[in-house]
Parts: sequence; structure tokens; C-alpha cells
Amino acid sequence: MNQHVKNVTPETTDLSRRSFLVGTAATGLMLGYAGVPGIGEALAAAHANFEPSVWYAIAPDGLVTVTCGKADMGQHIASTMAQIVCEELGAKWSDMRVNLASNDPKFNDPVLGAQLTGGSWSTMMNFDAMSRAGAAGRMALTEGAAAAMGVPAAELVVRDSVISHPKSKKKMSFAEIVRSGKATKTFTPDELKAIKLKTPDQYTMIGVSVPQLDIPSKTNGTAKYGIDVMIPGMAYGAVVTPPVRYGATVKSVDDSDAKKVPGFIKAVTLDDKTQTTTGWVVAVANTYANAKKAAAALKVSYDGGPNAKVSSQSLLDEAKRLQKLDDSGQFFVKDGDPAAARGTAAKVLEAEYTTSINIHAPMEPMNATAEFKGDILHIYSGNQFATRSGAIAAGAAGIDPKFVVMHQMWLGGGFGRRLDADMMVPAVQAAKAVGKPVKVIYTRENDMTMDFSRPLTYQKVKAGVDGDGKLVALSHDVVSAWPTQRWGLPDFLTPSVDKKGPLDSLTVNGSDFFYTVPNHHVRAIKNEMAHNATPSGQLRSVAPGWTFWAVESMIDEIAVAAGKDPAQYRISLLDGAGKNDGGAQRLRNTLLAAMGLAGYGTKKLPKGEGMGVACVSSQERATASWTACVAHVAVAPSGEVSVKKLTVATDVGTQVHPDNIRAQVEGAALWGLSLAMYEKATLKDGGIEQTNFDGYTPLRMSQMPEVAVTVIANGEMATGVGEPAVTVVAPAIGNAIFNASGARVRALPITAEAVKGAMKA
Amino acid sequence: MPMLTINGRSMSVDAANDTPLLWAIREQLQMTGTKFGCGAGLCGACTVHVNGEAVRSCQTMVGDVAGKKITTIEGLSAKGDHPLQKAWVAEQVPQCGYCQSGQIMQAASLLAKNANPTKEEVVAHMDGNLCRCMTYSRIQKAIMRAATEMRTASAAGNERRPT
Repeated sequence: MNQHVKNVTPETTDLSRRSFLVGTAATGLMLGYAGVPGIGEALAAAHANFEPSVWYAIAPDGLVTVTCGKADMGQHIASTMAQIVCEELGAKWSDMRVNLASNDPKFNDPVLGAQLTGGSWSTMMNFDAMSRAGAAGRMALTEGAAAAMGVPAAELVVRDSVISHPKSKKKMSFAEIVRSGKATKTFTPDELKAIKLKTPDQYTMIGVSVPQLDIPSKTNGTAKYGIDVMIPGMAYGAVVTPPVRYGATVKSVDDSDAKKVPGFIKAVTLDDKTQTTTGWVVAVANTYANAKKAAAALKVSYDGGPNAKVSSQSLLDEAKRLQKLDDSGQFFVKDGDPAAARGTAAKVLEAEYTTSINIHAPMEPMNATAEFKGDILHIYSGNQFATRSGAIAAGAAGIDPKFVVMHQMWLGGGFGRRLDADMMVPAVQAAKAVGKPVKVIYTRENDMTMDFSRPLTYQKVKAGVDGDGKLVALSHDVVSAWPTQRWGLPDFLTPSVDKKGPLDSLTVNGSDFFYTVPNHHVRAIKNEMAHNATPSGQLRSVAPGWTFWAVESMIDEIAVAAGKDPAQYRISLLDGAGKNDGGAQRLRNTLLAAMGLAGYGTKKLPKGEGMGVACVSSQERATASWTACVAHVAVAPSGEVSVKKLTVATDVGTQVHPDNIRAQVEGAALWGLSLAMYEKATLKDGGIEQTNFDGYTPLRMSQMPEVAVTVIANGEMATGVGEPAVTVVAPAIGNAIFNASGARVRALPITAEAVKGAMKA
Repeated sequence: MPMLTINGRSMSVDAANDTPLLWAIREQLQMTGTKFGCGAGLCGACTVHVNGEAVRSCQTMVGDVAGKKITTIEGLSAKGDHPLQKAWVAEQVPQCGYCQSGQIMQAASLLAKNANPTKEEVVAHMDGNLCRCMTYSRIQKAIMRAATEMRTASAAGNERRPT
């Protein structure tokens, strides 16, 4: 349905996402340099910008503007891309600027082959391409300078946007070289690939916490988010959403009262062939305040549809029913025979773990502005998946995706929410209906009740331990809605081990851990009822946010049953045997670092306090940042839990920006805490019950514990940091609660009642 | 049409008296630094000053602030160099940045009255401002840094210092 998306089809026959990520790298590299032909003509024009690659341009005044193809939602990825380019280019940091890319495929991620920001992938997947782009520019500028100065290129030194020739004391700034028009060298993809990049010991920018380029604009009100877009002559749309999350249809719309609202233009009932929304009406008016008044005045009647009676309880009941069926789901991991191994095990354990529905709730409510200009549909919105969202916008407009231009904005929070494109649909159809540009802004109530939420999950884990306390068998069933399958892009699904068709690995990632367990099965079971009633999305860290809740809690339960210290037990499982070689050792080292930093096993704690550990390989085996947490909690006899400290260690391979890594890891850890203790959404009669920050309550400043972060940079490839720490915190807290009080909790969020109920009398 | 005194200028806005100040500022005056977050006074993203007090502009009607002195993030300082704004840069506070105008305006109303707050006073004053990126520890640090600068600056004005 989308020409852009076709680009992501890998040539290999193995469609597993892991090989897809690695296997398309070479193709991506070429796509990334599609701008190289024609550069000669561009340079022929006097005082033109010098554009060594599609990723940046150097203006005649010497300013280097890097175009970031990733969505910047606060992870400062635009600044990071500029920093990587700057390292190899040899520019001065104060000369660097950033620009956010449109959806032109030439700005596609060089590895993903699409514009998609998620998975903590961006630095890892763009480091090489940005480095080569920077180096290519430096080489071209150096040749240009050599020609202009009449000296050998090999004798030139590039530093801080100046190329100098020490022998003759001649020098030229980047600005002068660009103005001279002498920088003309172009690179074929093979030449780019052959460039010898700096080794880490030569870095002067990578590893330095330079001031983030976007921060000043975020302290004075000038940063422009999607909601800030102003287009001459535009109208505003407020959406009226049905009481049922998905599946309702509009029976009738009575706008007689809305017509009395000054500035009211029209009520538009959406006809959403993309099936992203159901039963939505947009009230369009001259201002947003009037649009909201008109929306409140509209009398809409609905057919609630097939999901109108579904509740959280019915989703959980259905999950339990599905899990009990022998033929449910597909296998994600199938090593050995856990059932047989349990038959001969000395001890067998069984537990079920749940997580609630969770809402993204970024601070900037969803919004989009649509403008038809001639044949082209312009969309202004902060979005994490321009490739697909452009196609949804096109679908809503009934035009070919190639006629959609997506204008990227700063994102007022993403966390996976802005991978979705529902906001495009009301903006596009309202703009079409009223014949002028329309900015649609969700109320917080729209935003919460129509979230593509983290799904309710149910997991059942069965374990077998031999006479020595060794873990010999683990069966792990994961029942959830399938967020990624909803995209309708087969390349993002993973073939099942038992060849029962593709599965959504973004529901089970993490369960394929680095512990050595000879008999290990993981089943991914789709909860069709949840999938339909609560269309789910990717929420910061996605599957590892629930799979590690189960795995890391269960490992603790097993260690306790085997009479071992839970941290030492993990270390013994991380032996690096077979397929776990490398990753297991890194995870073990990270766990040891967190233990050391927290004083695990050395600090004497008062009664009622305890420490718990967890360690994770989020996001995926192939893209892991090795992360461990020690949680220190106090548990009152009432069951009230107070988290005193979170100590997080993470192995990121290479640090591009140490301060940013700390900011991301701390934010992620606090997200983990917020999801573990404070955030819960519920479904009743098909609708999300929580509508604003009074009912849905993310962590506030007064609830923040001490957070200590240590970063391990051991020279391996740079990996992502936006998400892994989210996943490690809940199990560490659950394990700490057990350590403090003997109460084992198995449901997120953790409540005082559950803790008290689990305490031994 | 109501007249608003905003950032030292008098401006008329084409909005009914029951229009939330937030939307008049953003749409009629096109000053978009003040953000919409919840529309219910629960998150603090829309915080502005009315006669020096931090208020939620989504809960403040245009008709109620006529003749009062309104300050938005755009008017907090002439060049974006209020001690809090400088501290926000020095501590590299913002991630997505969307809540930060409100955070800074909320913090400014504290420091205007108390340039030497305790950590507890900071938390109590700031607890109504949500940050979904969870930059809370840096917000605290930046407020303390700005407070120190403001105390030093006022001391510099009042006392002779060795040169």
C-alpha cells in the first residue's frame, strides 16, 4: 500500500527481523548517498552550499547543517547525529546546526531503509553512515583546500572548521573553501565504504558531553512542536471520540447546538478506510477554543460495535483461556524439551505474571496539521514513523502516498506513541471537507482514551530445578495483543520456530535471554480479543517491559527455592555457553557493577528494608544494551512500599555523549518505576476509564527516589539507551520487596494491598 | 475585545471572555512557548504569571485577567537569560522540552519570593508540574543553581566585594 515501505523488503529469504536489520545495511548505505550524483552542478553555482551527502550541507558562511532523519523526542538524536558527523568532518561544534528531515526516502535510515524511530536503534544504526558522511566531507574539503593553496593534501591538518598547512602557515576556513568552489570530490558507495574512519583513540568529539543543540530553544519557548504550527487561513479541529476504544460507528450527528457556537464551520464524520480510527467526528471552527465548544455541543449517537462490553477482566480471562490451550500461539524459542525435563526435576515452580494496560501520555497531546496545496498534501506533525504515517495520511485523503510531504517537528514526547498515525486522519479529512488547512489537537481526554496503549499482558512461567539447584527447564507463555502486527508490514514480523507463521517479536523480545537453560520454550500467544478491543502500540521498551518482569521475577523465585543468593544465581546462569557467548559475560559484568555500586551484600539494612536485583538484555538480543539494577526498598507492615534508591549500570559499548546517556538512563529508570508503581489504565464497557492526569498518574517529583547511574563503555559498538533501563526496574523492585518482606508480587503495577496480601501471616 | 497586558505590552485579543487564556496567548497572540498539556490544571505545562503568581493558563479565563500583568516564557527575560533559563542550559535539563516553559515559569515564581529554598520547598512548589521525560533531578539542580546565582547577584549589588 505504500511505496516507501517497499524499500524495507530485505533481499534475503530469511525474513526474521534480526537478519533484516543487519542484512540490509549495505543497501541502506547506498540509499543514504543517493544525493551524490549531480553535486558537480550544484557546486558550479557560485556560493552554493556544499553538500557532501544528503545528511548535511555546509553553507558559504561555514555553518554545517545536519539533516536528521530520526524523530527527536527528547533523546537529542539530532544533536547526536551532528556530533558524529562533526567528529569526522573536523568542524567546530559551535558551527553545527540541525534540521529535521521530511519524509523524502533519501532520508531513510541507512539500516532500516525507512523513516522509523524506535527500539533505541538510532545511534547504533546511523553511527557508521554519519561517520562516513563526515569523513567524506573532510576529504573533499581537504582536496579543495589543497588545490586552492597549491600544497599537497597529505600535508594538511583539519581542526575546528579550519584546514591549515603547517609548513607554509597557510590556512583556509571551511567557509572559504566552500566559497572557492574547489570542494568538488564525490564518492561512490564503494569509495564511501572504503574510507578509513578514525579509531576511538583519535576521537575528539565522540565521548564528549557537548552542549545539546536543541536545548536553548527549549528554555525560551522558541522550539516548534507540531502543536505550534501556524498556517495562514487555517481552521482548528477538536475531535469527538466514542466511548468505546475501537469498533464503534457513528449512527447520527446532530449539530444544531454546535451551529450556535461562534466560529463553528462544520462537523466532519470520519470515513477512515485505513481503519486507524472508528467512530470519530471532528468539530471544525475558527479557533481551537471554539472548536472545543462546538465539539461539546455536538450530539453524536453511536453503535458501540463488537467490543462495547469488553473489560480488563474479560481480556485477562481470555488470556488465561488461550494459555491453557496446547495449540495456542507460536514458538519464539524452542530449545530442548522443558516438559520432559520438569518430569525428572527435583523441584518444579509455576507462576503467573501480569501487567496492566498502560498509556503513553506524552506531554504534547497528539496533533497534526493538514494542508492541501495543489496536488500535494502537506502534513505538519511530530511523528516517529514518517514512512508509514505518510501512507496513512494518503489513505485518509484517498491519494497516492507519493503526494504526501511530511514536515517533521520537534516531538513533545514520543515514547512510541508517535509511531502511530491516527492524528493524521481527522486533520486530513477535516481539511478536505472545509477546503482549508486544519490543525487538529486532541484533548488530554482524547489522547488517553484513544491511546495505542501498552497491552494488558498475561504470562505463565513453569520452571524445573535439578537436585543441585540448577535451572534445567523453563516454559514461558506470553499472551498479549500484538502491537506490531497491527502495522500491516510483514517485514516487521518474525517467523516462528515451529513454522506456524510469523509472530510479533515485539511481544516476546527479552524472553530469549542470555541465561543458559538447556530446555527452554517461549510461546507467543496473540490475545485476539485484546488486539481488537485495545489496539496496542509500542510503549517505551515494548516487550522487554513485560517479558523481563516475568523472567527476572521468576529467576528470583527459582534462586530462593534453590536456596541461593539471587544475584549469584544469575551469575551462575550467565556462563556464556554456546549462543550466549559474549552477551552473557557482558550482562554478568554489568550486574556486578550495579551490585558494587549499590553495596549489594555488603550494606547492612534495617528490618523492613531490602535489595533486589534484575538484569536485562533489552531491547533485543541483537541490539542489547546490557543493563542491571539494584533496587533498595522499605516495606511497611501495611504493604506500603517506599523505593529508596535505584542503582543502574548499563554497558553501551561506546559513549557518544556521556551526559545524554545518563539523562536517558535516569529518565528510563524513572519510567520503569512509574510503570511499576504508579501507572494503571483499565478497560470497562470497551472504553479506557482513565481520562486525565488525575486518574492516570505518572511519577511526580515528590515520588522520585535517589537514582545512581553508572555507564560501562568498553569500546564495543555504540548501543541505545532510551529504553533498556525501563525494563529492569520493575523486577528489581519486586525482588527487593520480597527480600525486605517475604512478599512476592506478580502483578504490575505493584499495590500496597497486593504486597500486604502476599506477606506471610 | 478584551485587552491583555502581556510581557509589558497591551494587546487586544479577538476572544470571548470565557476563552482560556492559554488559547488566546497561543492562537491570537501566536506566542506558542506556553503549552497545552491537560486542560484541567493537572500538569502545569501552561503555567504563566499573573501579577507575579504562577497560574495555569488553561484554567484562567481571558475575562478574569484584563488589566492584570501577564508574563509568559517569552517575556520572562529579554534575551532568554533569566538565571533559571541559564541554569536550565547549564544543567542540560530539557529532553523533549515540552513541559519546560511551564517548569521554568513555576520555578520563577518560587525564586522571586524565596531565593534560598530548601529541597523540600522546591519539591512542594514543583510537584504540580509533570515531566513525562522525568527530568526531575535536573530541574531540582537547575533551580538550586539559579537560586545561588540570584543570591550572588543580589549580594554583588549590595556589598563591596574584594577585587
